[in-house]
Amino acid sequence: MSEFAIETRGLSRRFGRQLAVDALDLHVSRRAVYGFLGPNGAGKSTTIRMLLGLLRPSDGQALIQGLDVGRDRIGAARQVGALLEAHGFYGNLTGRENLDLARTLRGLDRHELDRVLDLTDLRSSADKRVSDYSLGMRQRLGLARALMGSPSVLILDEPTNGLDPDGIADMRRFLAELPDRTGATVFVSSHLLHEVEQIATHVGILHLGRLTVQGRLSDLLAGQPQDIELATSDDAQARTLALAAGYDVADDLRLRLAPHDDARRVAAEVNRALIEAGLDVHRLAPRPRTLEALYRQARLNLPEAA
Amino acid sequence: MFPILRTELTKLHRSLALLLILAAPTLVGLFLLLNGLRDGQQRPWEVWLGASSGIWAFFMLPMSVTALTALLAQTEHAPRAWDQLRALPIARWRIYAAKALVVLVVVAAMTALCLMLTLAAGALAGLIRPENAPTGPLGLATVAESLGRIYLASVLMIAIQFFLALRFASFVPGLVLGIAGTFFAVVATGAEEGVFLPWQMPVNILASEPWRAQTALGLGLGLGLLALLAAIAVLSHRDVP
Ligand SMILES: Nc1ncnc2c1ncn2[C@@H]1O[C@H](COP(=O)(O)OP(=O)(O)OP(=O)(O)O)[C@@H](O)[C@H]1O
Ligand SMILES: [Mg+2]
Repeated sequence: MSEFAIETRGLSRRFGRQLAVDALDLHVSRRAVYGFLGPNGAGKSTTIRMLLGLLRPSDGQALIQGLDVGRDRIGAARQVGALLEAHGFYGNLTGRENLDLARTLRGLDRHELDRVLDLTDLRSSADKRVSDYSLGMRQRLGLARALMGSPSVLILDEPTNGLDPDGIADMRRFLAELPDRTGATVFVSSHLLHEVEQIATHVGILHLGRLTVQGRLSDLLAGQPQDIELATSDDAQARTLALAAGYDVADDLRLRLAPHDDARRVAAEVNRALIEAGLDVHRLAPRPRTLEALYRQARLNLPEAA
Repeated sequence: MFPILRTELTKLHRSLALLLILAAPTLVGLFLLLNGLRDGQQRPWEVWLGASSGIWAFFMLPMSVTALTALLAQTEHAPRAWDQLRALPIARWRIYAAKALVVLVVVAAMTALCLMLTLAAGALAGLIRPENAPTGPLGLATVAESLGRIYLASVLMIAIQFFLALRFASFVPGLVLGIAGTFFAVVATGAEEGVFLPWQMPVNILASEPWRAQTALGLGLGLGLLALLAAIAVLSHRDVP
């Protein structure tokens, strides 16, 4: 069996003349929480729909637990629980009835209903009609449905859509713990970099249908240069001094270091220079690059032709 | 196959489709009751039942099939449920076959209900005004058989409406064709060529020339089953964008 829970090889999809997904090679290790990032229209949902066999790739292939989705869609689908952009709940039925449809179609045990309702905190509203659900309740119900039957791969398209801050925190905790608790792999698309940063073990960043960054999050961040945040009694003069000393200065007076700069040494140097120039230094803080910086950087990795 | 059928029936709970299933035959029964009480005339059962079959085959059945297929398809189109359904570890043709079966069963049930409500309307007329009670023998077997043929002759029309309703996320193409088909069936009843119009096949079962009834039954059922299989094959093989 393949070492990856999800793997794609040259996966591509055209819509007319537009190449929405361009030769994607995803590698999602078993038991990873993989954050699938990218701006609106990058091709995240299109990729996910190909992973589920809902769209035929124009080229390439997708494998789930080593099973080729194009050849054995049903076998692959048995491994997957999915929360999609379109929930497809029937408003005339209650939450429980909606879940029961999916349970029946997957041939699962009745006890699964209460188990997933408890996991998603929906017990008390399970007998309300879905047409009366709030957006966040629908999202939880979608997660409940995805969790039914404890699938080995969980594919979630923007699961925090419409959740309140508590809901987002619950979701974060839940997804982060899942691989250890059940051995499942979580593949989650999102725009919320800060949320993903807290739970993801791996990330892939998609821009215009191309995967520009992929890897273990800790490795990716460790390879990133640091920034130094700066605030002084005369920021204009501080900027002039920093520029004169050859630093790359951002609009907010942040000094962007090169990959091999030693942030502590630079901080000491800058501090001395500013004080010697008669400025008061209010703040001088080396900051590790965040996922957000990585995300912005990823845009620059795009070949010019795109 | 049974679990899928069960889920299809569950989706009818509290739905508009269910309302339609009850309302269309009820309207026929109600009309016959009012018509039966209209004057001092006493009509034989044969007239009551003939009127019922006629109205059903002529107008109410084609309109009901149009509306029913639209409503059942919108159950999936409206919440964009296809992605969830088609991602399940189930062969896709089963999903569409279950839907087709539900339509066939429901139309059969509506046809039977129409007959039952006609009997109820006749009995009720006799209770309200004994001088309007239907007379003569009931001849139930003959009517049931003719209704059965009407139903079988409607399979081609059902297949066409079923395909359009599921193929397009909008209900407009199916509705337009259903209304157009019913309209031509109604205005061109006399025309011999009408027997080749799927929407007119059911009413041709009641035609006095035997060849028309036979042609309608043969084409409606034969082509209908083929069309239904083709519809299921096409729907399960295409991507829903
Ligand atoms: N069915 C379709 N037909 C035509 N174009 C499509 C279709 N689905 C997606 N696209 C196009 O493909 C591109 C990628 O869309 P996709 O929905 O995959 O983006 P996304 O990354 O999920 O965006 P978002 O973050 O907004 O959900 C977009 O330019 C979109 O317009
Ligand atoms: Mg999307």
